[in-house]
Amino acid sequence: MTSTVDTPEKAGRPAHRSGLVAAARAPRWIRYALLAVGLAAALWLPNGLYPAVAVDILCWALFAVAVDLLLGFTGLMSFGHAAFWGASAYVTGLVAIHAGLPFPVAVLAGALAAALLAVPIGYLAVKRTGIYFAMVTLAFAQMVYYVANEWRSVTQGENGLQGVPRALFGLDLTDDYYFYYAILPIVLLGLAAAWRIVHSPFGRVLVGIRDNPARARALGYPVHRYKLTAFVLSGFIAGLGGGLFAVGHRFVSLDVLHWTTSGKAVIVVVLGGIGTLWGAVLGAALVVRLEDWLSFSGFEAIGLVTGGIFVLVVLLFRRGIWGSAVVLARRWLARRHR
Amino acid sequence: MRRTVGVVAASAAVVLVAGCGGGGPQSGGDQELTGDKIVLGVLNDQSGAYSELSGRNSVKAVEMAIADFKTKHGDQAVTKEITVETADHQNKPDVANSKAAEMYDRKGVDIILDVPTSSAALKVADVAKEKKKLYFNIGAATTELTGKSCNKYTFHYAYDTYMLANGTGKVTTEQVGKNWYILYPNYAFGQDMEKSFTAAITAAGGQVVGKDGAPFPNTSGDYSTYLLKAPGLNPKPQVLGTMQAGAELVNVVKQYNEFKLRDKGVGLAVGLMFITDIHSLTPAALAGTTYTDAWYWNFDQTNREFADRFQKETGTRPSFAHAANYSAATQYLEAVQAAGTDDADTVVKQLEGKEVNDVFLRNGKIRAEDHRVIHDAYLAQVKPQAEVTEPWDYVKVLETIPAAEAFAAPSPDCKL
Amino acid sequence: MTGFLQNTFNGLVSGAFYALLALGLAVIFGMLRVVNFAHGAFYMLGAFGAYVLLSEAGVPFWAALVIMPLGLGLLGMALERAVIHWLTRLDPLYNFLLTFGLTLILQDLVKSRYGVQSSPYATPSALSGSVDFGLFDFPAYRVFILGFAVLVCVAVWWVLTRTRVGMVVRAATERPELTPAFGINVGRWVTPVFGFGIALAGLAGVLAAPMRAVNPLMGADLIIVVFAVVVIGGLGSIFGSVAAGFGIGLVQAWGEAYLSDFPIVSQTIVFVVMAVVLLWRPAGLFGREEAPA
Repeated sequence: MTSTVDTPEKAGRPAHRSGLVAAARAPRWIRYALLAVGLAAALWLPNGLYPAVAVDILCWALFAVAVDLLLGFTGLMSFGHAAFWGASAYVTGLVAIHAGLPFPVAVLAGALAAALLAVPIGYLAVKRTGIYFAMVTLAFAQMVYYVANEWRSVTQGENGLQGVPRALFGLDLTDDYYFYYAILPIVLLGLAAAWRIVHSPFGRVLVGIRDNPARARALGYPVHRYKLTAFVLSGFIAGLGGGLFAVGHRFVSLDVLHWTTSGKAVIVVVLGGIGTLWGAVLGAALVVRLEDWLSFSGFEAIGLVTGGIFVLVVLLFRRGIWGSAVVLARRWLARRHR
Repeated sequence: MRRTVGVVAASAAVVLVAGCGGGGPQSGGDQELTGDKIVLGVLNDQSGAYSELSGRNSVKAVEMAIADFKTKHGDQAVTKEITVETADHQNKPDVANSKAAEMYDRKGVDIILDVPTSSAALKVADVAKEKKKLYFNIGAATTELTGKSCNKYTFHYAYDTYMLANGTGKVTTEQVGKNWYILYPNYAFGQDMEKSFTAAITAAGGQVVGKDGAPFPNTSGDYSTYLLKAPGLNPKPQVLGTMQAGAELVNVVKQYNEFKLRDKGVGLAVGLMFITDIHSLTPAALAGTTYTDAWYWNFDQTNREFADRFQKETGTRPSFAHAANYSAATQYLEAVQAAGTDDADTVVKQLEGKEVNDVFLRNGKIRAEDHRVIHDAYLAQVKPQAEVTEPWDYVKVLETIPAAEAFAAPSPDCKL
Repeated sequence: MTGFLQNTFNGLVSGAFYALLALGLAVIFGMLRVVNFAHGAFYMLGAFGAYVLLSEAGVPFWAALVIMPLGLGLLGMALERAVIHWLTRLDPLYNFLLTFGLTLILQDLVKSRYGVQSSPYATPSALSGSVDFGLFDFPAYRVFILGFAVLVCVAVWWVLTRTRVGMVVRAATERPELTPAFGINVGRWVTPVFGFGIALAGLAGVLAAPMRAVNPLMGADLIIVVFAVVVIGGLGSIFGSVAAGFGIGLVQAWGEAYLSDFPIVSQTIVFVVMAVVLLWRPAGLFGREEAPA
């Protein structure tokens, strides 16, 4: 199966590289070493970065992993995931404000709401594949955006939902530095869940559907139902990120539902590497950090930079950062073994 | 073995990402003139819809204010080191939130200026309150900044929805016609404007015979349904009041002219308009339109001199937001000078209740009750093309609205 | 009754823009299997180009109506050769993403050169009057847009059904695997067809300049609605995209006029219709079966 990595991309099929296969085949000690490095980086992050930016990175990492779960492992590109990220942000905000519950409970409520919203949207969207799927999800997300914009009594419309509390059993979490460590376990749980999904028998079936839907159907798998389940799970994980984002910023605005937010999530995944999960995390870190830097740099054309990077990645580095690193590592090792 | 290089590359990238940051957990602290310098932060839209009427030219205006302050006080100045930090919030409240916190915490910013877009403006007010640092809002219109969401460290400088509606609604009803049709974008700003206008119109003895909330954002860009409906209402409206702003305003006005409503006896009044909007629509398209302006560059000699200097710096004439940023920076620096410290609480005391006259603030007063900065406002009318004699001189001021009338009384919702 | 006719007329005018944009998308998709996200950006370039031509070279509207579609068509062809072409053999998603990136770049290029403020563009003087329809009079420019758009759509339909080029395009659209087997060189027509689709977007942009705000973001939200329109019409169907374009324009205008207390209706109706169509006919109203994507 590793052969998929090095064969030229075939027409009419997504050029996904199976990062999951490689990860599964890597010796156990390497996987543990990898995990240790990742954990160390996550623990150290707010010491090396402005903590608010580090918090954003965590939230976006969940969002990107959710998108990658569909794009990389189910072969469905959602261009409307802002609907779940944003819906959860609003529900989390409302629950936290009105019920005064600890923020992890509010975030869980938000993520469940996002998953619930993913059911009807997913039900309609999985009827289509490929580019149609992208357009349909995009349109539905835009619809959610307009509803939130209009439903002012609940969402506060353009002014945004202000004053979302960071309540956690009386702990003082106003400093982003401490808040980062408060949400880190939740984010790691979310990432672990995504990893578990991908490596479960269910995940294998998804990859099978991605690579050859006709064969999966012939083998008796209810393809639509599998896709819908993946869509809902992805909505849930995106919702976790969105809820934390709302608590992190202590407010929610309509931007969380705008289609540019969905587009940014896809950019993050493609930059990090489609179908690699950890690449999405890396992509989130890079994009959030880059945007932070750009907005202080005095450079006005932010779209020029992000758009330019995106075009270059799509044209030249379709494997993304993680995927390219893996391929380079393989080539290097193969040469050494020879 | 196969993954080692991937791991190394990936973790190197993580280090790279983080490495540009530096520093640990931050905590704000108030000292006498922190670092022996004053840092002014301009946080606004430098790439989106508001970047032209404020944006980077507002940074220029703040730099002008610093230069003037230094010239004025010379060796007596509280410090020689006054710098400007600036960031682009892209009209996104979440970006504004992180940038504001970062400015106060890491860039040593003593005061944040401008911040257009109501949602971003309200968010930054929260940050200012939490960090106990000053914040002068200039670019946003929401009255909530001096209402429910007011706080000790937030001041609202240039204008608000009440000011816009009150002048235009009252004077236009008295001078142009009593019957109005109001078209507003159906979101927070538009709805506030519609309410304020209706109140002002009824108070002046007029009536609103019809009103419609148009979709916002209006993707089709079409307003013909409303424009066709207006002349047919009974009684027939003499004024169409449009609350759309920016590109949507341009769409409304273009189509207003297309359907020849002016010829059908329906005049035009605009809720919020900047000189840059008139420039893009051309005065011909707007001739006779009335609106309330917070400041006009060619109103008198003082303004004109400022506008000439501004043009030398930027190549364009100042909007009221530019002048207000200049004024806000000046007033803040003067307050620090008088207090001898940049400690926020002391400076707030210095500012509260102060009466000011400068290039932007005429008969200005910084209200202690709600931190609304009141000043004279102007009812302006767009000149017919034939009367436009120089570029950017597009309006004449019909009436000066005295400061006390231009703004609403302090809101009971505000508890500082 | 008069009011209804006026609203209907306006709906058709809005629909004309949707139809021209959707038609361009459909032609490009049919030939290349590329969903051009940058279609809205090219619409914007058409309007902006007309403005720049007028303000910097004094070129009038009528000339711009010819120059801009031609110029943008050529630009589109160059773009197809330079980048789109590289990715057509891969999953169509890559070209979707590529054109998304291009959209960001094009918008920012225009923005950094001309700013975000809307630029002025007057209605051509010959069309600044009204046309009297007896029951009501209507701005001449709107009548012109509607007539012109219908003419363009009919012309495209004629080319597709009555000429050899059209037959190649239709064959390639409907039977992409089979067509080359008959010895037809489909590849030769890919670049011109892409350019033609872009030219249609540019044409819609020039037509929009006198009645819509001309600014770098004018196509950004519009393109999402057009996507929904083509999904409703059936992405592979050229007739479907035009019909759905006019239909959605009508439905939106009626919604605005008769449900004006609920602006949410006219904003979301296109997406609701899309959901219903997907449930009822997943391939779109006029689409036959799902084109391989």
